[in-house]
Amino acid sequence: MRQGQSLLANFDWVLFGIYLIFLCMGLATIYSTAYSEDHPNIYDFSQKYGKQLIWISVSLFLGLMVFLIESDVYRKFCIPIYLFTLILLVIVLFMPAVNGARAWLGIGSMGIQPAEFSKIGAALLLAHFISNVNVKQQTINTVLVANSIILVPMVLILLQPDAGTFVVFTSFLFVMYREGITYDPLVLKLINTIPGVKFKYTWVGSHFIPILFIFVFLSLITLLMSNETITFQFAPNSPVNGIWIIIFSLALFGLLVYFILRFLSAKRDRNRVLIIVLIGFMLTAGWSAVVNYGFKGLAEHQKDRIELFLGLKEDPDGEDYNRNRAMAAVGSGGMLGKGYKNASVSSVESNHVPESETDFIFCPFAEEWGFVGSIVLIALYLLLLIRIIIIAERQRSTFNRVYAYAVAMIFFYHFAINIGMNIGFAPVIGIPLPFFSYGGSSLMSFSIMLFILLKLDSQRRDILQ
Amino acid sequence: MNVDARKYVLISFIVLVGIIYSFRLFYMQVVDESWALRAQQIAEKRREITPPRGVIYDRNGKKIVTNKTYYNLMVVESNMKNFDTVAFAKLIGWTPAQVINRFKEIREGEGIYRNKRTGKTTSNYQKFKPYPFLKELTLEEVMKIAPRLEEFPGFYEDATSMRSYPYANAANIVGYLSEVNQEEIEKDKFYKPGNNIGRAGLERYYENELRGRKGIKYIVTSALNNAIESYAEGKFDTVALQGEALQLGVDIDLQAYGESLLKNKRGCIVAIEPQTGEILALVSSPTYDPNLLIGKRNISKFYNLLVKDESKPLFPRPLAAEYPPGSTFKLINSLIGLQEGVITNNSGFVCDKSVVGCHNHTSAGNLADAIKHSCNPYFYAVTRRIIQQNEKKKLTEDAEIGLNLWAKYMHSFGLGKKLDTDITGIRSGLIPDALYYDKWYGHHNWAFSTIRSISIGQGEVMLTPLQIANIGAIIANKGWYITPHFVKSIGKKGPLERFTKKNYTLVDTKHYDVIREGMRRVVYESGGTGKRALLKDIVICGKTGTVQNPHGDDHSVFLAFAPMDKPKIAIAVFIENAKGGGGLWAAPTASLMIEKYINGKVSETEREETILKANFSY
Repeated sequence: MRQGQSLLANFDWVLFGIYLIFLCMGLATIYSTAYSEDHPNIYDFSQKYGKQLIWISVSLFLGLMVFLIESDVYRKFCIPIYLFTLILLVIVLFMPAVNGARAWLGIGSMGIQPAEFSKIGAALLLAHFISNVNVKQQTINTVLVANSIILVPMVLILLQPDAGTFVVFTSFLFVMYREGITYDPLVLKLINTIPGVKFKYTWVGSHFIPILFIFVFLSLITLLMSNETITFQFAPNSPVNGIWIIIFSLALFGLLVYFILRFLSAKRDRNRVLIIVLIGFMLTAGWSAVVNYGFKGLAEHQKDRIELFLGLKEDPDGEDYNRNRAMAAVGSGGMLGKGYKNASVSSVESNHVPESETDFIFCPFAEEWGFVGSIVLIALYLLLLIRIIIIAERQRSTFNRVYAYAVAMIFFYHFAINIGMNIGFAPVIGIPLPFFSYGGSSLMSFSIMLFILLKLDSQRRDILQ
Repeated sequence: MNVDARKYVLISFIVLVGIIYSFRLFYMQVVDESWALRAQQIAEKRREITPPRGVIYDRNGKKIVTNKTYYNLMVVESNMKNFDTVAFAKLIGWTPAQVINRFKEIREGEGIYRNKRTGKTTSNYQKFKPYPFLKELTLEEVMKIAPRLEEFPGFYEDATSMRSYPYANAANIVGYLSEVNQEEIEKDKFYKPGNNIGRAGLERYYENELRGRKGIKYIVTSALNNAIESYAEGKFDTVALQGEALQLGVDIDLQAYGESLLKNKRGCIVAIEPQTGEILALVSSPTYDPNLLIGKRNISKFYNLLVKDESKPLFPRPLAAEYPPGSTFKLINSLIGLQEGVITNNSGFVCDKSVVGCHNHTSAGNLADAIKHSCNPYFYAVTRRIIQQNEKKKLTEDAEIGLNLWAKYMHSFGLGKKLDTDITGIRSGLIPDALYYDKWYGHHNWAFSTIRSISIGQGEVMLTPLQIANIGAIIANKGWYITPHFVKSIGKKGPLERFTKKNYTLVDTKHYDVIREGMRRVVYESGGTGKRALLKDIVICGKTGTVQNPHGDDHSVFLAFAPMDKPKIAIAVFIENAKGGGGLWAAPTASLMIEKYINGKVSETEREETILKANFSY
């Protein structure tokens, strides 16, 4: 490190600024939704907003601490940090269960959730591991170790059980994809056992992760849409049911992709683009149809179970209570919202939407600020994510880049699933909205994650690649 | 391959999710209205606020009908937690079995409705809706329960306003309330199940004035169905308005006094202020305490008892009982005779007991004396002259013309037709006309001799006590009346318009003086039939009646007004099956009422005691 350089040189003020905006918006929303006339003061520490103010202070303090530590420390100590978070995950399994999950470490309301911090450990270790991998010479071991790094905490988290964080850990797969960690050695090993087959490379193997995600995503959407129908004005008596809506959308999307790629690619590649898009469309549409009719062919009780998991059952006052209330709150916001502190469905006091200051914090926000507010919030998250990716891409060291991508994808997962469950696009699994939801553990772990990134970024020039 | 390009895959994916979410949000929040409706369903309630009913005052501003707050102990089953039946039973003073029974009753009985299409009766009981577990508790009762209700989640107390009658009198005037039935709910949007409606008396007649205007409050409710705040800061709310106060012409003290006088007797008293037509008292005996019919709990307990009671306490005798008027009717016949010119003030008729019976008195040489003696043959002669005026040669044809003329006069006195008094359940009495007798005897098949009983107020003639009292008011006013009515003023608007109009009789004012003189003699001259009504400082004009009754002892009737020069009160007293004529019981009763009203106190204590002691109820 060059001596005499200011601590804040190369500090990414944009990212820090977005972070502060989120903290303010989050606190304002918690104040609005949990507001109680007996405790009007935002500094009232007996109330959620007062407590969140403490958490924000603690997080900023922790962030400062983290920022003061040399970035080399994270590289050198990533294995102890990872192991420490694993130990916490083991200890927490011996704690008394709260709401059916052994997720809390500590006393009463001031506890922490080790699962939140285990993401940091996994991100650092994965970054460390991948930075030492020669991407061009990957073996089966490379894939197995990379996957083990995330699988061990995932298993421990599933034992709590904490389905939300478990799902979030799959975000590391995207990071691995970005870094070129390939499943090809695995796929090749499987395929080449077939006599006479001798592949050196498979497209499926190297793009295994996005393909997997596309098909999982498509399956979910198909199942969610399978019972919906839309009636068009020009065909009032012939409602279009779910599967055709999906196929139609896929076709539209295919066309869009085709024209974009056609525009971007060289003349001689155009025919290839057409074929690829066509094959892609046929495969996805076919898969949707298989899922759709396969689902309909299932036995009634199996169907019930899946519908229950997806929150599809028409039971607005029973199984589907949370999702239904949340969607009503969001949907009733209208264009401009009901106004600050005027959330009638999702305020804590009215209690129609459970957990409206934590997992369902998007509800009061969308109800109060309407579509305009929601769009601003989504835009801000996209800005945050893209900013992190920009930071990631300007790193000289692989360690830094992998870590930055890990942070970006974890935030993206939280954003996509959390808002998705408020609008009926994701099953209800309780994970917080970064920097927004009430809660110490998540805010602290998100902040530490972000400040490590800021630190790594500010010292990016010190590293000679 | 170029791994770096994969960053675009990730960025596109992120942006794509953002775009899809934006479209979805646009659809949910802006395009699709159903979520907003769902939110309303979940969180907003339209709550109706039933205002307290209007208060009713007597003529001196004393509250005779007010509102009192009662409490229902409500239960919401879905909010109940760890319910301790034994402890709860102990708290409300029941046995655990009773508590369990009551729950069963609520589940099966509350919200019961008849499905119009299927005709089936089903219970619409819903776990998350509040139902009254205990109804109509008083403040004292609820104070014993309320402090410990926190131990029983799901229970809470709810205040409701109900009627209260500070005076245990005037039940037949004010009426009572009871819960609306399905038909009424369908007919008038104002009413919701559980609301009360006036069932009888003024409560029924002035229902629209008394019920006030309902307020509507849109509120935001919580998941536990508690109200949190008003919706949109009350922008769409309307305020509940209490019903109009009614001021009655009734003097509640006079009413109470009248009720005490008629205790242990069947009968009625009607007192009217002649100049205004305001009813001062309307006593129906036997009567009941209006407080017995407050609320569902009481009504279910007492209503049947009152209905089954042989003495018919619910029957408003002054309005609906039709009696032959007896000798009081002679006054009207005299007035018609004078107007028709068939008699003069000085006409004399011999008391000829061969045509109709009479008591022993000297024959009357003039009308006033005839009234004093209440001479039957005299009025028989008078009425014959009215009916048979020799317009036609044939007696029966002549009688037809005469009777119809007579009936027309009668109608102008408010007789034989329903008085348009502001109360329901009023009856018209009966004044027979030619058509009436044609049905009985055949066309032109009857003459005066057939129908002569009408001359002395017996036979077919029927009047209600209210009509008889109104006759007193007409004579006091010398020829006109304002329809007798209860309500002196609705709010500050005065009475209904029709109660400001004078109705003139077909008899000229000049003919009334002799009648009044005769009525004075009834009370003040020797040989008068109503001497027991005599008061020293107030000149009473009266007329006795003794109504023959095939079912038992004669009814005792007295019609009067006082004071003679400036009448303040016209009164009719009717005592059924009194052992003795009108002069014996009804006259002194009337005089007590008059003295009580005019002087505010009663000096004739001996007379009062006699009446109070008298017992004609069997």
